[in-house]
Amino acid sequence: MSLKRFSELFSDLDSINSTNNKIEVLKRYFLSNEPIDNSWAIYLLTGKSNKRFISGRYLKNLFSQIYEYPQWLIDTCYLKVGDSAEVITLLLKKKSTTRKKKLSNISLNELLSKTIPNLSKLNEEEKNLQIKNIWETLPEDNHLIFNKILTGTFRVGVSIGLITKSISKLINIDEEIISHRLMGNFEPSIDSYEFLINKNINLQELNSKPFPFLLANTIEDKIFKNSINDFQFEWKYDGIRMQLIKRSGNVSLWTRGQELVNESFPELVEKMSYIKDDFVLDGELLVWNFKEQIALDFSLLQKRINRKSPTRSIQIKYPIIFIAYDLLEINGKDIRDIKLENRRIELEKYFSKWQNKTENNISDIFKICDLIYPKDWPDALTYKEKSRENNTEGLIIKKKTSIYASGRKKGIWWKYKVDPMQLDAVLIYAKGGSGKRAGLYTDYSFALWKDKELIKFASAYSGLTNIEIKELDKWIRKNTIGKYGPVRSLKPEMVFEISFEKIQISKRHKSGIAVRFPRITKWRKDKKIYDADSLDNAYELMRKIS
Amino acid sequence: MRTKQEYLIRYKDGNLYCELADIWIDPSKPVKNALITHAHFDHFTFGCEEYITTRETEILLKERIGDNIKIKTFEYGEEFKINGIKISFHPSGHILGSSQIRFIFAEEKWLISGDFKLQKDKTCKQYEIVKTDYLISECTFGLPIFKWDETNKIANDISKWINNSPEKTSLLFCYSLGKAQRLLNEISQTNFKGKIYSHGSIYKMNNCYKELGINIKDTIKIENKKMIDELRGSLILLPPSLSKGSYLKNFKNIQTAFASGWMSIRALRKRSGYDKGFAISDHADWDGILEVVKKSEAKNVFFHHGDSEALSKYLIEKESINVLFFGK
Repeated sequence: MSLKRFSELFSDLDSINSTNNKIEVLKRYFLSNEPIDNSWAIYLLTGKSNKRFISGRYLKNLFSQIYEYPQWLIDTCYLKVGDSAEVITLLLKKKSTTRKKKLSNISLNELLSKTIPNLSKLNEEEKNLQIKNIWETLPEDNHLIFNKILTGTFRVGVSIGLITKSISKLINIDEEIISHRLMGNFEPSIDSYEFLINKNINLQELNSKPFPFLLANTIEDKIFKNSINDFQFEWKYDGIRMQLIKRSGNVSLWTRGQELVNESFPELVEKMSYIKDDFVLDGELLVWNFKEQIALDFSLLQKRINRKSPTRSIQIKYPIIFIAYDLLEINGKDIRDIKLENRRIELEKYFSKWQNKTENNISDIFKICDLIYPKDWPDALTYKEKSRENNTEGLIIKKKTSIYASGRKKGIWWKYKVDPMQLDAVLIYAKGGSGKRAGLYTDYSFALWKDKELIKFASAYSGLTNIEIKELDKWIRKNTIGKYGPVRSLKPEMVFEISFEKIQISKRHKSGIAVRFPRITKWRKDKKIYDADSLDNAYELMRKIS
Repeated sequence: MRTKQEYLIRYKDGNLYCELADIWIDPSKPVKNALITHAHFDHFTFGCEEYITTRETEILLKERIGDNIKIKTFEYGEEFKINGIKISFHPSGHILGSSQIRFIFAEEKWLISGDFKLQKDKTCKQYEIVKTDYLISECTFGLPIFKWDETNKIANDISKWINNSPEKTSLLFCYSLGKAQRLLNEISQTNFKGKIYSHGSIYKMNNCYKELGINIKDTIKIENKKMIDELRGSLILLPPSLSKGSYLKNFKNIQTAFASGWMSIRALRKRSGYDKGFAISDHADWDGILEVVKKSEAKNVFFHHGDSEALSKYLIEKESINVLFFGK
């Protein structure tokens, strides 16, 4: 199969809205192409790797240099298009004079395993020349895919779930099995594709891979009609959801994003190998305050995630803990289909003995999740309201009789999140969006009052409907009082309700505060700017919480 | 340099106006004398005392406004005088009857491009290069990201899009005057051999075109209560105004597409809400605008209809062309 066929697939998937049709298109595609290219297609479509070979900026500069194009003109075009790879693709149209397109039949495998990786081996001059050469010998229809892969921005509206369904239909095997096979590192090769479509299920091969995660749904009112005793209650921690696996003596840490992160947390891998049993645990990784037994802020965990082989001092500075929620497999036995309450008994049976031991103590890195026991639903609400005090986001409610299904299965687990904090703020700046929102003003900054001045306190991008975005975009264009590059300064007139999860002191911001996950929850057309909140209100909010 | 008031043609109340002839070009409000470049709704208004235009535009205009209007028509290239100013219409290649308008006064030539395209279109006369001193040009697609593909390539893409889903009814949204007829003409040359239906507003325009001797494929006028099975695998042309709202409930198992130059940008395609976008336009692309500016040999250029900032800067910097601004 050629890159051409993949470009067609991309354009088909991009223009089909129905899930069933997408599955059909994928199925047809897998049937008619070589295993190695199918493997690459899956690799790209599931976003298993978005390795960036060159930056969007580099791509734009290179184009400007080769074709003597003013940089400002490319930047103006970018504002309309919102994606560097696409801008260059559009600008490249009709540029090439080479009649013979040598690369018109290049295979996906050749491009991804040779042509593109080889670019990294060249010096800058050679690299630029090679990219120019590819541009000029590749058919125009394939430029977009090439530029997107080059800049690591290849994304299309296809989820792993959709790939799973297509493969599952293709070979008539349960989605769970396919989903399992697709978990973790997927290296594009003939073998990995053959393994994926293998009709014989071989458990041995699945050894180091995690189970599909079970996810919680947002709380539904109907749950309150049930007896409180039917449910297990846990705190909802704000860390990295993870499966901790030990099979045949080897420990592996898998995030929900299907990344193997052993290298970032070597101390956990080491300590867990003390345990004699083999197991699969579902839990959460956090940076932990051991003295007060409380989770520390997610921002501290971020300092650990992207750092491989952390030094001893980093490990001490940001001490981690794995909080085990659930036991999914024990000594080779998959127990996901026994009831949660019984799995909990197993979890305690196998793991409490490893805590507080004198030798090989793991309590400085491992903990079984504490349960909460509300008397009734109003009491559960009280717990939920208290969750900010211990740095959690609310409660997780699990049906005691539930099995460990996969995905966001309904009617099993619920998240009962603490209500967000809110302030009414005034819109003062807007910036053009990118991607789908290119050409529209969709990045907003909001301000609060300090005496008679409006001070910026948060930026938010999400929360408005498409209709509201268009309406606001029109208003922004008419009410601009100043332009600074891509940013427009606006007449203070519009008030919005901004919701956020956390508020803390920050020296980096002029307002002196920083908020986490700010988003627009309401366009307060009923309010005048003098009804908006002040910075004092924000400080007051902060005082109430801490 | 002259002040704005001294230009032969200038902006007045948001419209192009020639004071010496007391005549307006494509006015958006009722005036005494209106020169009309073409019959799209944003280029004329009801209630002018007299319209002056081409013979083809007259037929289309009357279909849209009614027969009770006063219209004077001229052939392409035919010169007429108002207050000593020589005026003539020249083909602009946008839609049937569309024109550029040239003014000559005291040896000074002015050219209003009207909406134009350079691409071949079998349903109207090809754009004619007209030399001028002053050029007032549209620049709807005045960025280099806009470069049109050959029309037959787009027509083949449309045909493939329909043929690939024989179980579906394909709804193609397009402007009812010009774009629809151009598409019909092109699609009839492709591999798509199924039935084509058109909405009343498009059907009417097809008839006008036929009346004026243009070869347009016969279509079936779409009725509200068509059998769903009958529509399967066929193509229906609809005006974009019907894409939102309850009209689509008349159909089952549909796929939708929009034919417009804006569809060359993925973000706009995604946001438009159509399943698919075909980038085909009756306006000039970037290269087209540059070609017209150069070939017209204009020393001074004005732009209107569109975002002209980048285009102006480019012409000034790269081509050393004097771009002027009207101010509104």
